[in-house]
Amino acid sequence: MDATTVLAALDGNIATVGYGLAAIGPAIGVGIVVGKTIEGVARQPELAGRLQVLMWIGIAFTEALAFIGIATYFIFV
Amino acid sequence: MTDARPAQPADRTPTSNPVLRRALIWGGVLAAVILVVSAVLGLVFAGLPGLWGALIGTTMAVVFMGITAASILVANRFSGSDLFVGAFFGIVLGGWLVKFIVFIVLVVLLRDASWLDTTVLFLSLVAGVLASLVVDVLVVAKSRLPYASDVELPKAPEDD
Repeated sequence: MDATTVLAALDGNIATVGYGLAAIGPAIGVGIVVGKTIEGVARQPELAGRLQVLMWIGIAFTEALAFIGIATYFIFV
Repeated sequence: MTDARPAQPADRTPTSNPVLRRALIWGGVLAAVILVVSAVLGLVFAGLPGLWGALIGTTMAVVFMGITAASILVANRFSGSDLFVGAFFGIVLGGWLVKFIVFIVLVVLLRDASWLDTTVLFLSLVAGVLASLVVDVLVVAKSRLPYASDVELPKAPEDD
């Protein structure tokens, strides 16, 4: 076995990388949603109630992708 | 000369609470419907393991999607406190983090369980997640939130 093959060798299930990606994406998404909500509340504290609802629906959509992505572990071998 | 500043309102609970509570209730109602449908389909197509997969999948989807709204409701209980902003994001994002760790642990534990059908579990989980999103959007679209929600206007000055 030559050096290139050894260096490029990969053990285990490549799908693991996909589960990692399924966690990174929503993490960035929720970070942006929450960060923007903080900005909005800092600017207009009287809108906190509305912004909370919008933040919640943003988080719900972002995390839906994470749930489906991580749950693919059930069907991908 | 009296103090011209507006009095602190007694109740400073954010106005988002009724919307979130309604979303949780309707999410629970729709979850019950999906639970029955997916359980019947799972039983028909995959037998008893399919039934278990459908029950667990739908329950996981609804519980994990509902935790966000529930954590905001819990965090809003601290709305009178000076530490509200920190407590709010600590509770909501901490709940999010714990939720995903529990979810991954559950997925790993249930993956090799022989007593349930993982394909049915996955499909009913996706159905539960999508249904929960539909409920969230409908509840928010139908909600009435005032633009300036969490303020109390100062009282008109009284004539002496």
